[in-house]
Amino acid sequence: METTDQQKPGVGNGNGAPSYWSSVAIASVLFGIIAFIISITMIYITINSEATGSFFSPSQLIGVLGCLVGAFGGMVATWHYASEFDVPIKLGKGALIGLFTGFGISLISVLLNQLWGLIDPDMTQQMIDSMVANFEAMDLPEEQKQQMIDSTVQNMRSQQSIGSQLLWGLPMYGILNLLTGMIGAKLFGKDEDELA
Amino acid sequence: MMYPRLAHNRKLYGIVAGLCVLLLIVASGGGLFHQTGFWMGDWQHQAFRMLCHQDPARSFWINGKPMAVCTRCYGIYAGFSLLWLGLPMLSSGIRFIKRHAGRLLVGAITVNIIDVVVNMLGFWQNTLASRTVTGAVIGMTAVLYLADKFLTSTQKT
Repeated sequence: METTDQQKPGVGNGNGAPSYWSSVAIASVLFGIIAFIISITMIYITINSEATGSFFSPSQLIGVLGCLVGAFGGMVATWHYASEFDVPIKLGKGALIGLFTGFGISLISVLLNQLWGLIDPDMTQQMIDSMVANFEAMDLPEEQKQQMIDSTVQNMRSQQSIGSQLLWGLPMYGILNLLTGMIGAKLFGKDEDELA
Repeated sequence: MMYPRLAHNRKLYGIVAGLCVLLLIVASGGGLFHQTGFWMGDWQHQAFRMLCHQDPARSFWINGKPMAVCTRCYGIYAGFSLLWLGLPMLSSGIRFIKRHAGRLLVGAITVNIIDVVVNMLGFWQNTLASRTVTGAVIGMTAVLYLADKFLTSTQKT
């Protein structure tokens, strides 16, 4: 079938450009689940590990490996968009796709965290108990230990609210995925010259 | 004009520059603002909680508080932000950048992966400084990779 430049999806990034929402949704769900799995795994390893008296727990090994993993959703979304529609992607559009993907990742991971709270309602308390036991095993003055425990308990409880999780999740995932979305646009988006 | 050689995507450049500076300030942690209380409760630490392991032993400290991210993450943000702000000054080397930036970025990522794996296997002990430098190289090469989209014309008008 013959197509004109106007009908070619995405050419010129005009009104005929295909929607990127499916790419945003797919990357959001995928990386939202990954972020949730990393978070939940770290929590359970912390719960089940012995108090070492160290700030660095075995669970953080996963954190080291998974550092910034949640930031690559934007790149994957632009890859999906480019491969699905075979279109050029301007840097600004890549940034926008990344930004929305970051928002999506945050929303999905928060939603899954809340749902997990229904499956295992004792998780937060167990996590708090484990961290308190770890602080108590530290070789520090009693007053300092108590301050750390109070602060951590208060912090852990406040982090359980949807509002608190979204307050930081939305902007941080948004910004980092915006950056990787730009890189994805350059990496996977075809130059308009190639399609001309 | 402050950046006379920035040819394209100026608005996007400005937005990203602002966000990078913001990111760097937040990543520096509560010590930068002389916040009181235990560092784990600082809003900066909460902001990066899902993005970095935040091990204080692997972070720089400011005013008695660890930064909100590890040294490698801080290196990435700092390297990206600093070179991003200096991006317009790179226009004279655009031909070199255009030709080699992709390879440099892949090389930087590879060096970091090797650094992490070799350190975990015990063959090499990386330090705060080495992690920062290798992270900064990723951030800087990422800017180089994007540079030609801001410095030269790549799209037909």
